[in-house]
Amino acid sequence: MKYRQARWTADGSLEPLVFELGGKGRRCTFSCGKQLSETNIPEGFLRASINLPELSEPEVVRHYTHLSQMNFGVDSGFYPLGSCTMKYNPKISEELADLETATNIHPYQSEETVQGALELMYNLERSLAEIAGVSRVCLHPAAGAHGELLGMLIVRAHFKSKGEERTEVIVPDSAHGTNFTSAAMAGFNVVVVPSDSRGRVDIAALGGAVSKKTAALMLTNPNTLGLFEDGILEIAKIVHKAGGLLYYDGANLNGIMGKARPGDMGFDIVHFNLHKTFSTPHGGGGPGAGPVGVCKDLERFLPVPMVEYSKKNKRYYLDYNKPVSIGKIKSFYGNFGVLVKAYTYILMMGAEGLEAATDAAVVNANYIMRKLEEVSGFEFKYPGPCKHETVASAEPLKTEKGITARDVAKSLLDYGQHAPTYYFPPIVPEALMIEPTETESKEELDRFVDALKRISEEAHSKPEKLRSAPTGTAIGRLDEVKAAREPILSWRMYRDIKDKVVQNRGASAENET
Amino acid sequence: MLREIGVTNVEELFADIPPKVRLKHGLKLPPPMSELDAKRHVKSLLSKNKPFTEMPMFLGGGVWPHYIPAHVRSLVQRSEFLTSYTPYQAEVSQGMLQALFEYQSLVAELVGLDVANSSMYDWATAVGEAALMCARVTGRKKFLVPKLMSPERLSVLKNYTSGPALEIVEIGYDGVTGQLRMDELGGKLGEDIAGVYIENPSYLGFLETQVQEIAEKTRGAGALFVVGVNPISLGLLKPPGDYGADIAVGEGQPLGNPVNFGGPTLGIFACRNEQKLVRQLPGRLVGMTTTLDGNTRGYTMTLQTREQHIRRERATSNICSNEALCAVAAAIYLTSMGPSGLREVAETCASNAAYAMKKLQKVKGLKVPIFDSPHFNEFTLKCVKPELGIETFNDRLLELGVHGGTPVQGEFPELGETAVLCTTELHTKEDIDKLVEAAAKAVEGKK
Amino acid sequence: MEKYDIRDGLHYSREHEWVKVEGNLVRVGITDYAQRKLGDIVYAEMPEVGKQIKQIAEKKTREMELGALESIKAVSAVYSPISGTVKEVNKALQERPELVNTSPYNEGWICMIDPNALNAELGKLMDAKEYSDYLVKLG
Repeated sequence: MKYRQARWTADGSLEPLVFELGGKGRRCTFSCGKQLSETNIPEGFLRASINLPELSEPEVVRHYTHLSQMNFGVDSGFYPLGSCTMKYNPKISEELADLETATNIHPYQSEETVQGALELMYNLERSLAEIAGVSRVCLHPAAGAHGELLGMLIVRAHFKSKGEERTEVIVPDSAHGTNFTSAAMAGFNVVVVPSDSRGRVDIAALGGAVSKKTAALMLTNPNTLGLFEDGILEIAKIVHKAGGLLYYDGANLNGIMGKARPGDMGFDIVHFNLHKTFSTPHGGGGPGAGPVGVCKDLERFLPVPMVEYSKKNKRYYLDYNKPVSIGKIKSFYGNFGVLVKAYTYILMMGAEGLEAATDAAVVNANYIMRKLEEVSGFEFKYPGPCKHETVASAEPLKTEKGITARDVAKSLLDYGQHAPTYYFPPIVPEALMIEPTETESKEELDRFVDALKRISEEAHSKPEKLRSAPTGTAIGRLDEVKAAREPILSWRMYRDIKDKVVQNRGASAENET
Repeated sequence: MLREIGVTNVEELFADIPPKVRLKHGLKLPPPMSELDAKRHVKSLLSKNKPFTEMPMFLGGGVWPHYIPAHVRSLVQRSEFLTSYTPYQAEVSQGMLQALFEYQSLVAELVGLDVANSSMYDWATAVGEAALMCARVTGRKKFLVPKLMSPERLSVLKNYTSGPALEIVEIGYDGVTGQLRMDELGGKLGEDIAGVYIENPSYLGFLETQVQEIAEKTRGAGALFVVGVNPISLGLLKPPGDYGADIAVGEGQPLGNPVNFGGPTLGIFACRNEQKLVRQLPGRLVGMTTTLDGNTRGYTMTLQTREQHIRRERATSNICSNEALCAVAAAIYLTSMGPSGLREVAETCASNAAYAMKKLQKVKGLKVPIFDSPHFNEFTLKCVKPELGIETFNDRLLELGVHGGTPVQGEFPELGETAVLCTTELHTKEDIDKLVEAAAKAVEGKK
Repeated sequence: MEKYDIRDGLHYSREHEWVKVEGNLVRVGITDYAQRKLGDIVYAEMPEVGKQIKQIAEKKTREMELGALESIKAVSAVYSPISGTVKEVNKALQERPELVNTSPYNEGWICMIDPNALNAELGKLMDAKEYSDYLVKLG
């Protein structure tokens, strides 16, 4: 299958910017009616004008429809981004999250008027606690990295309460960038532990890295190579013996649902990505949700409020009575709209469904791994079987033909398949991190392997085609160096630069005459 | 497929999980539900909520109900936007990238500053990130905030600044006007102050009238001036960029996003276009560029070396996933409303508040508002009748079919039995009249 | 094997920085090999004048970091080949970081240092021939 994306072009650009469209006096039809009163705001505080575009509703709709046509979602095609779990997003979740009883409730409403929302959150918490094997779950974090920060703050609070000064957090060299940053944001020094020849955490090195200064080890399991850290019990022992806590990065939970639970493996803090494992849509970068679960010992530090149930009054309520809680890391109670979608998903999947999802995800990833092993130009540094994702290296292609992982990824776009993650994890050269997820058919996986086969062949016959890919998308490769050297980050900045260019042209034209 | 992988059953693929932690009997969750059953279950659950559209409600305080034109929702739910990932592959994601560039541009116009990022989680975390940015830029470790700032935002700010151990110092307010005490500000400003933060309009609804002076004093001390806003107010009020703000933060939810029980929200973050600021900006940025041949304009994520995936521990923030789709909704909303539409909404919000205040002032036993300052669309209401608590007052209102404002007597005990009420363009004259009538009855204790 | 530009009369570090002795001071920059590996430089993070800097050793510490050079996808620390005090930085790199790519030995210089143990430390650096052999070994 080939792909030709819609391409709207005007003079030297694709679809014009909203500031370049419309006309004076145009706007959508919504209007407010007569004012009831004068306000008491002095003239000096009022703004003279505001430079917003003026478009009619049909013009707005057409513009953003055009933009959507020059974009690519899971609904468009295969999206094997490693550790992102781009599984199908059920549309019923959208419908339910869009109900008035979900969208038109205010977080400060009297609790008796929002019992449905509280019960939903309570039930979701119970489900996530069961899936991960933890005691309580905080639903507040708005994203995975946000949950990581919360996890790190809980680690700090824990040691502060014990009067212990622990300044280090250990992170594997294959870890996601946010792990390092979140630990640093919470005031810790990051100690990196290497991976061994099997692609797992080097346990001997870990033993050498822990000390009385160790606050925590952050671990993804399966790790970012898609491999299960089979030494996890030993790892947990080492960290706990040193007095540290074990933090679970839940990005790869899709690889073990129903098979094992992080809480049982010894993790004290477990983080989830609802927009990964639990199928809420990625939205082009967000919103997501990154709940954090903890063992009993750490419950008291969780942010306020938590949702509780009073058997006596037979109602749900928000509990703010947590004297040693760390406070808040987000306003209100979390991304409720996202929670509704995750809750709906878990209901539909049930225990069997979640485990079946993991089964299918793992089978699909292994299938791709096996098939790709037979395609020249790609190799696997670590032997399988993998879990729900696998990391291939395009190094042979690079050494033999000078075709990089980036070239491969860009070429895939022309086949209507989104590129996998590339150049991550950094410990694999020319890495292509492939996570198919369980919602892909065998036919789709075969199409993917087939595309890579063709790309491998073209690396020999027409490498220039690969280096100039993609050609079927709305636009070709962009000058990212220019974007960084001369940043134009808004219409205002663009307009100022355009004016200067015109001025300069005018000046040089004058000079010429 | 199993044959091709070389196993006889799926369980072999999980053989490397230590038997000790291997779940023997699966998860203890209910069995799967069909889509229809799940729909019935969730609908029935949510029906236990009473949407604020069913009764006059006067809550605000960080998320506010506004009218969202229908086409905003339908555009944002187009699956090419909804089910896409972060636009790292620029060639195939020009739609999302341009929509986010437009969002950045529209926010920049709204707040009067050149550079806006493509979203933070919410206003509270944006304040936290702003404080961290001030510390990075100035190399100083103290951050000044008003005592009357939102306590939730203050809690989040403290958590965000706890890592580098920044000190948060509160500045008091004038008892009559609520305005920031300039003498206290002047006294606390010094070479150790990284930034000064105010909320305008404030958490209690009044406008901070001394903003020019605060900006000058802050600049004079070499600190950065951070202003937190409700963007709807900027349809009417002078933007922070015009009165000397270096950084503007705020809550973008009222721009085209539903209240949604407090999330998803949309953190606004913008700053002046100065290299030392932009390099320290947190969050994702979309920039304009051209194709390699220079012929076609396009958009790409840029200045990524500030971010976690490259800088790791030294990144300006750990933020990865943000609130992108909410930002697109905001862009569509602002584009649809245009200058006259947004001004109209803002004027109506303020005028409804003015009308409500005027009428409530006539109710004996209430003081409305408690501060003698101009207000935007939120205002304080205090029960001055002896022995009438604000919670009881609110309970009585609810019995009369009106939802009152947010009680703040727990957060600011010195203010007494006070709540913060909010009006938007959604409130009709009848709604407000009903509030006034119910308030009068509630004070009397009549049913 | 790629031909990298290596200048005579300079001293070279294993981290691909060059040192040019100019009277009492030394001028420091990165080599042609280094700029090629980094790719297009989009930003140069420069040290502050007056900063105390240490010569790069086996175990890298912050006190050895002069600054950093950024391409669009990576940030590379620039370590100092000489201990001393930073006396001057190349302001031209602020507007035109690409000078490091186009003219690494000339207009793309990074900073001037007032050395505090010049002779001893020069001994730890390579001359042009040794650096050339070193690059061949790196392959």
